[in-house]
Amino acid sequence: MASIPVIQSSSDFREKFFDRGGENAARCYQCATCSSVCELAPANAPFPRRQILWAQWGLEDRLMTDAGPWLCYQCNDCSVRCPREVNPGDVMASIRAMMVEKMAFPAFLGSLVGNVKKTWPLLVIAPIIFWIVLLGVNTGLAPVHPHHDLQASTTLGQFFYDAYVPHSLIYAVYFTAVGWVALALFMQGKKFWAALGTQQKRQGTLIGALAGVFVSIALHSKFSDCDRGMGKRRWGHFLVMWGFVGAAITSGFAVVYLYGDTPWFSWFFKILPGETPGYPVEITHWVKWLGNGSAIALVLGGLLLWFNRRNSTDKLVGVTTPFDRFFLWIVLAVIGTGVFTEVFRFIPGVTPMVGFGVYIIHLGVVLCLFLTLPYSKFAHILYRTLAMAHERLTVESE
Amino acid sequence: MDKVGVFLCTGCGLSDAFDVDKVIEAADEAGCACNLTHECLCAPEGLEAIKGAISENELNGILVAACSDRAKTQEFASLTEDGPMMFRVALREHCAWPLKDAEDDEDKTMLAQDMVRMGLARLDGFKVIEKLDEEISDTVMVVGSGRAGLEAALTAAGLGHPVVLVEKDDKLGGLLADQVSIVPEEPPYEAPEANPVPKLIEEITANDEIKVLTTTNIVEIDGQPGQFKVQLNGSSGLEMTVGSIVQATGSKPYDASKLGHLGYGASPDIVTSQEFEKMLAAGKIACPSDGRTPQRVAYIQCAGSRDENHLPYCSSECCTNTLRQMMEVKKIDPSIENAVIYKDIRAPGQLEYFFLAAQKNAEAMMTRGEVDKIECNGKLSIHMSTSMLGDNVTVDADLVVLAVGMVPNSADGELVRELIDSRHQAEHSESSQVREASAARAEELKDHEGTEILNLTYRQGPDLPTLKYGFPDSHFICFPYETRRTGIYAAGTVHSPMDSVQAAEDGLGAAMKAVQCIEMAKRGEAVHPRAGDTSYPEFFLQRCTQCKRCTEECPFGTINEDEKGTPEFFPLRCRRCGICMGACPERIINFQDYSVLMIAEMIKAIEVPDEDDEKPRILALMCENDAVPALEAAAENGATWNPWTRIIPIRCLGSTNIVWLAEALSSGIDGVILIGCKHGDDYQCHYVRGSELANTRLENVGETLQRLALEPERIQFVELSHDESGRIPQLLDDFAEELDEMGPNPLKGF
Repeated sequence: MASIPVIQSSSDFREKFFDRGGENAARCYQCATCSSVCELAPANAPFPRRQILWAQWGLEDRLMTDAGPWLCYQCNDCSVRCPREVNPGDVMASIRAMMVEKMAFPAFLGSLVGNVKKTWPLLVIAPIIFWIVLLGVNTGLAPVHPHHDLQASTTLGQFFYDAYVPHSLIYAVYFTAVGWVALALFMQGKKFWAALGTQQKRQGTLIGALAGVFVSIALHSKFSDCDRGMGKRRWGHFLVMWGFVGAAITSGFAVVYLYGDTPWFSWFFKILPGETPGYPVEITHWVKWLGNGSAIALVLGGLLLWFNRRNSTDKLVGVTTPFDRFFLWIVLAVIGTGVFTEVFRFIPGVTPMVGFGVYIIHLGVVLCLFLTLPYSKFAHILYRTLAMAHERLTVESE
Repeated sequence: MDKVGVFLCTGCGLSDAFDVDKVIEAADEAGCACNLTHECLCAPEGLEAIKGAISENELNGILVAACSDRAKTQEFASLTEDGPMMFRVALREHCAWPLKDAEDDEDKTMLAQDMVRMGLARLDGFKVIEKLDEEISDTVMVVGSGRAGLEAALTAAGLGHPVVLVEKDDKLGGLLADQVSIVPEEPPYEAPEANPVPKLIEEITANDEIKVLTTTNIVEIDGQPGQFKVQLNGSSGLEMTVGSIVQATGSKPYDASKLGHLGYGASPDIVTSQEFEKMLAAGKIACPSDGRTPQRVAYIQCAGSRDENHLPYCSSECCTNTLRQMMEVKKIDPSIENAVIYKDIRAPGQLEYFFLAAQKNAEAMMTRGEVDKIECNGKLSIHMSTSMLGDNVTVDADLVVLAVGMVPNSADGELVRELIDSRHQAEHSESSQVREASAARAEELKDHEGTEILNLTYRQGPDLPTLKYGFPDSHFICFPYETRRTGIYAAGTVHSPMDSVQAAEDGLGAAMKAVQCIEMAKRGEAVHPRAGDTSYPEFFLQRCTQCKRCTEECPFGTINEDEKGTPEFFPLRCRRCGICMGACPERIINFQDYSVLMIAEMIKAIEVPDEDDEKPRILALMCENDAVPALEAAAENGATWNPWTRIIPIRCLGSTNIVWLAEALSSGIDGVILIGCKHGDDYQCHYVRGSELANTRLENVGETLQRLALEPERIQFVELSHDESGRIPQLLDDFAEELDEMGPNPLKGF
């Protein structure tokens, strides 16, 4: 016989939960309008009614091992129809935020980002200061002799950032950060996958399920299952996602091209036609096109999402919690500073120091994005993917 | 009445419907003192014309042949003030409208003629009504001093009536007296409100018009409304006369010791909501077992309620009471958790806001679930095989509060009487079979011994008859507060399960009924449902055979009987339905304007054409409360039916005397249809049992008909509810068709 343990006091959990935007869960009287209107809720484990009940009872263990919240796209069909203004969509978002914090590796970083309402200045400013200090120590914040002897031109730009920020520092910092993020995501993913398994039985392998999940993610097909006001959300998110993918590929090639003549990367040109374009890459090169295209996708997608959120007056868009806001601002800041970092190089009259300043901020917020990725809303990349794979593998019960 | 004028209206299209001259001719033949036609009788000119004719001809009876007595009631009533007695026939609703499509004008005229003849026959039998003129006490007695009783006492006193408030306990207030707060009664309905009972008690104590008698029981109530003779015991030992009574004896919590599966008695930490209330009132919540403060209090809703093995009904206030208690808990110690297991949360009306507030502010954890058992092993484990938290789950708690339902503090008067009768039979019956059966029945009913509250000296038992689950009521939808004893009104939780504010309203309403009863008794008028009726049955006792049918069948206990079985009639208890009139085989019970003979004469007044004319005649005896209004609504909505049916509205189908049916068939009428109210558990009869009794009587008529070589199908009984006017044309026409197939009544022309 399953036993619901005595929760000595649910007030801690409640307080935290309410703080993360779930305060309306208390209003629910379990009519299940939400579950019956939801297009995405699986028949064998419908949401969000039961999650709200668990939240009321403070059943943290159940909530933290449930795939449901991650299968919800928060179209807010439920929130619009809820007769008691529980806004189940927001409750689900709060549960997701709580889960990100709960699964965090290491835990203290999870609570640091979880409490972003109070900690956001630290999270944003610390990486920028880190870069200023790092550069101060290495270059005294002055241009150093670049390892290329380049002439400014209309296609190559007016000035070159590696004169201010040696690439070696970038690699040292970001390779470390990426490695750290990968480790954190791996540990969290492992924990989450095991947790999901305690709730529902699965059949089949994760790898097998992921193939289907990736196709679904690539096309954003699940968005179209929600029938309410999801057009802007779907295409905004689609552009932003592919923009990030494009930006990641661009960054990869930048490294490859820069070191194409070293033993580390020369193999690359044996399997790929063409040769290294050298550094800096000309603006007409396809990698630049990819990068700039990605930037445009990011800007367009970001604006679509931003205006969608701002202009909706009804419950189609839920409340924006600090957790959401932080994520959105960081993404916008990365996109904005990234774009200006590049654009300033081509505008005559912009002094190198202005471009350099923007570049340092860009480096800072990118580092912030990297380091908070496993604990911010960005972590949905991991949890949603795993939850979708889990859903595909769950055995239909009864 | 010997001088009757006929006043025929020709407005509303009546003059086009039939031949007015021929109708007047028929009236003259029937022997009216004068007649008058007018194009609008209800207009001031029409009324003046009637008044003129009355004084000119010194009329003592008037027949208004126009529209239904539901139309222009005030206008025509003005004619009878200090004047002649009136009878109205509804030519418009029963003739002109339903026959508007009839091909043969002769048929319409024949119907109108019959109606006028019937009206005259009825008026011919009218006797002058000598209004009841009894000495009536102004005092209202309120039994029970809970919220309903207190409100009833204040209301009656506020209306200028002396009040006697009788309470069996030594203090006032009832179950609510010690409650720390009540559920909110005013917007925004979000927090418990102060208990109003102490203030009500203050007001009562300060009111000189209200005599408060605590530690007092009722020894006996004799007499009738307006003249109840009450004997009290206790500290007072008083005797007094009161006019009417409000029974607000409240309820008691369901006996939790019967709830073994919920662990009551197995652990001191499982308490009822009433016991828990004492902790709240004391401001200290502690587990009774060891005095520790509970971390979690679990409330089990519907503890014994909505449960076929215990109380099958919803007690209506336990849900909101639990919500209130949770809020009180949070006031005392915010660290205590509240968990609720419910079947449904029922927070009716505005209390939905209270429910919401409790969810938000009392941090209530709530789930639907069916509790199988509660185990005590240090902690209390509540096992549920089905719940919204999942199947087969256990919720732990330190203190369990059982929200037990309410049981009315009533006594089933009819069963108490049956017990007394059964005991008597068991000893005195000559048949050993009867003795055994009666002894067995007495054994079954023995729990009712000593439950008496009012101790009425009514033949039909010492207390109010109960309807369902022990709640005394007669007709909770149409006639709230009415019981089946005139002048005695039930209010509060004895009446039906309800919360505090409903009990207050109920007490207020019942007090107003009690006052109304006194005021109308003073005017010699019936109070309900024939409000204002001044007629009453008269018993020609010289011919009484002491068969006791009237004393047995009266649904309102109006008639007592002496040792020999002679009826002893109490007119102020009477509702004027005429069920006794229908019951009496000697036909010795009659009203001044409604008698066995009068209806028989009306039937005789119907002209029955010869067999060769192929004009059948059908008599419809219809309940004037539900069936006739339904028929008139049908006519007003354009329904039409055959021209053969002759309608006689009667007070209640229960007043049908079998002799009318014999009269009809022997005079050649082809068939009789009786249309009355639905009976059974969900009866709609204004007089509770009238249509049921009529149905029973008809069962015996079938055999008689067969002896007369008549088909039993010539008499039909139909149940019709007030809203089924759509069925009327079909009913009447189908019956006509059936009779057509049977062929004409062979007794025609004899």
